[in-house]
Amino acid sequence: MIKRIVIVLLFSVVVYGVSIAQDDLEDERFLLTFVPNIQFSPLYVAIEQGYAEDAGYNLTIEYLNEPDVVDLVAAGQANFGMVSGEQVITAVSRQRPIVYVYEWFQQYPVGVVLDAASDITQVSDLAGKRIGLPGRFGASYSGLTTLLTANDMSERDVELQEIGYVAPDVFCTGGAVDAVVVYLNNEPLQIQLRADAGDCADVESVRVFPVAESTDLVANGIITSTELLERDPNHVSAIVMAFDHGLRDVINNPARAYLLSEAYVEGLPLSDELREALNTLADEQDAFLADQPTREDIIASRSAMLETLQSTIADPAELIQFQVLLASINLWDADQLGYSDMASWEAMQTTLIELGSLDDAIDLEGIFTNQFVDETD
Amino acid sequence: MREGENCERMLPVGFCNTWPLVMMLIHMLAGVSYATASISILESGAFLIPFQSAKKSSTTMKADVRRQRQKRAYSPMLLKGIRRLAPILTVLIIVIIWQGIYTAEVYPSFLIPSPASVLETFVESVQDGILLYHLSITLQETLIGLLIGVAIGSSLGYIIANVPILEDLLSPLIVAFQSTPTIAYAPLLILWFGNDIQSKIVIVVIIVFFPTMMNTIAGLRAVPEGLRDVFKVMKATRWQLFTKLELPAALAVLLVGLKTSATLAVIGAVVGEFVSVNEGLGSMVAIARNQYDTPLVFVGVISLSLLALSLYTLVSFLEYYLLRWRRFGRT
Repeated sequence: MIKRIVIVLLFSVVVYGVSIAQDDLEDERFLLTFVPNIQFSPLYVAIEQGYAEDAGYNLTIEYLNEPDVVDLVAAGQANFGMVSGEQVITAVSRQRPIVYVYEWFQQYPVGVVLDAASDITQVSDLAGKRIGLPGRFGASYSGLTTLLTANDMSERDVELQEIGYVAPDVFCTGGAVDAVVVYLNNEPLQIQLRADAGDCADVESVRVFPVAESTDLVANGIITSTELLERDPNHVSAIVMAFDHGLRDVINNPARAYLLSEAYVEGLPLSDELREALNTLADEQDAFLADQPTREDIIASRSAMLETLQSTIADPAELIQFQVLLASINLWDADQLGYSDMASWEAMQTTLIELGSLDDAIDLEGIFTNQFVDETD
Repeated sequence: MREGENCERMLPVGFCNTWPLVMMLIHMLAGVSYATASISILESGAFLIPFQSAKKSSTTMKADVRRQRQKRAYSPMLLKGIRRLAPILTVLIIVIIWQGIYTAEVYPSFLIPSPASVLETFVESVQDGILLYHLSITLQETLIGLLIGVAIGSSLGYIIANVPILEDLLSPLIVAFQSTPTIAYAPLLILWFGNDIQSKIVIVVIIVFFPTMMNTIAGLRAVPEGLRDVFKVMKATRWQLFTKLELPAALAVLLVGLKTSATLAVIGAVVGEFVSVNEGLGSMVAIARNQYDTPLVFVGVISLSLLALSLYTLVSFLEYYLLRWRRFGRT
C-alpha cells in the first residue's frame, strides 16, 4: 500500500514538474501563408523536434493571406511571419515597420512551364505566345516580368492570359495557352504526373524556365517587427535559430521530415506501405548523416531516396507530395542558409518599379538583416 | 418679447421655444463658459415666457390657435425632414467615430487610415478612372446576374407554387444547395465557367435565385382562395388569372424578395471577384490589399456599400411606383 502511495506521489511530482516546465514556455505565434502544406515542413519539424521549446517558446502556427501576415506583424499583434520579398518591399514602402531576418527560399520559386515538344526552346521563343498566369499581381507576375526583362522582352511581346490558380487544369486542357507561370516546386510535378497518366492533352513531358536562372530575386523568408528587433533581438534570434534547425533537418533527412509533418498536413498521402518505407529510409539517412557527409553527398542521397520509393510504391500519385518536398528543398538549399544579399533586393525593387507596384526606390539597407544568419553558422 | 415674435416670423414654429437652449449649446460648443451661455438665455427673455403667456389677450389667443394649427401642419413636415436627414446624420456620426479612432491611434494608421486620406484616394481613383472601370465591371456582373437570377427564380417559383409535387421533389436539393456557402464552391464555378465575367454572373444567379423563388412561392400562395374562385366563376383564362390576380396580389412579396436579391447580387459578384482576382471592385480591393494600399481598400469597400445601397434604393422606388395603388386604398 505504502509502495503504491509513493508511486502515485512520485508520478504527481513528475506531472507537476512537467506542467511547471511547460508553463515556463512563452507562447509564440508564427504566421504562414497559404494552407497547411508539406512545403512548411521546416517549421513543423522545429516544433515536433522540440527546437522551439528548447529555445523557451511554445510555437503555434496560423495560416493567413500574405498582406494579413505583414500587417499583423507590423502592428505587433504577432511577432513572426513568413512572406515573399516583394511583399516586404511593398509593405515597407507603405510605412509597415517590418524587417526581413531570414531568407528561407534561396531561389525564387517561380518559373514558366511548357510542353517540351513545343518549338519554344528558350525564353525568347515565348514572343507572341499565350502565357497563362493567376493575374497581374503577386510573385508570378513579378517573376514573369523579371524573366522577360532579363531576356530583352516585355509584357507587350507576349499574350498574357489571366487564368486564376488553376494552371495545371488550363495547361492540360490543351490549346488554351502555350505556357503557364507556376511555382516550380509544385505545379510542374502535378502537370508531369498528369502527362505520365496520359491526362494532359498531347503533352508527354514539360520544360521549365526558372526565373532564378535569369535573375536572383529575393524570395520567401521570415519577417519580424522593427520594434521587436530593437527591443529584444535575443527573442528574434531564438525563433530564427529554431527554424534554421528545422530547415537543416528537412534538407538532411526529408523522409523523417515527411513523417513528422503528418500531424500538420491533413490528407498527406501516407499509406502503411509508404510509412514503412519512409521510416526505413529515415533511419538509414540518420546513420548516413552520422558520418558527416558533404553537401553533394546529401543531395545525392535525396535523389536515391526518391528512386528507392519509386521502386517500392506502385502508385505515383502517392509520392507526389514527397516529390514536392524534394523540389522545395532544392529551392531552399544553399551553402549559407538564410542569407540574403543586397543584389537580390535591388533586382526585386527594380522589377516592382517596372510593374508600377512601387513609385520610387526605397532605402533597402534597413529592410533586411543577416545578423541572425551569422549566428547559425 | 419682440425678439420672440421676430423669431416666430423668421423661423419655423417649435424652433423659437427651444432656441435659447440651442444658443446656449452653440455658445458652449464655441468655447463660451456655461455662465456666459446662461446670460444669453436671460438676454433672450426666454425665462419670461411662462409669465407673459398668463396675461394673453384674446387677440393673442386667436394668434395662438392659428399657431397651433400651423404647428400641427408643420410637425409632420418637420418630422419628415428629420427622417430624411437621419441617414446623413448616421454617416456623419460614423465619420466622427472613425476620425476619433484615427486620432486616438487605437490602431496604426496603416490599418485604419484617416477619413481625409480615404477621401483623397477616392478623388484620385475617380480622376484616373480606376474606380469607375472596376465599378462598371461589378455593376455589369451584378445587373446581368440579378436579371437572370430573378427570371429563373420567379419562373421556377411560379411553377412550384402551382405544382406542389415539384416542391417536394426539388426542395431538398435547392435548400441543400442554398445552405452551402458560395465561397466553398465558387472556385469550382471559376474553373467551369472561366476566369472572366461569366463565372461571376453564374455566382450572382445562384445567390439571387433562391430568395426570388421563395418569395414568388410565398407571394402566390398568399393570394386569397376566394378571389381565385371568383376568377374561376368568371371563366378567366390562365393568362388573365396571372396578370389580373396573381401578379398584382403577389407583387408586394416579390418586391421584398427583389430588394434582398439586389443586395445579395453585389455580394455574389464580389465573392467571384475575390476568388478570381481579375477585374471588378472585389478584385480592386484584393489588389489594393496586396499592395498595402489601405485607403484604396476603404474606397473599394465604401463603393461596394454605395452600389448595394443604390440598387436597394432603386428597387424601393420601383416598389413605390408599382404599389402606388395601395396608397390610394385600392385593393
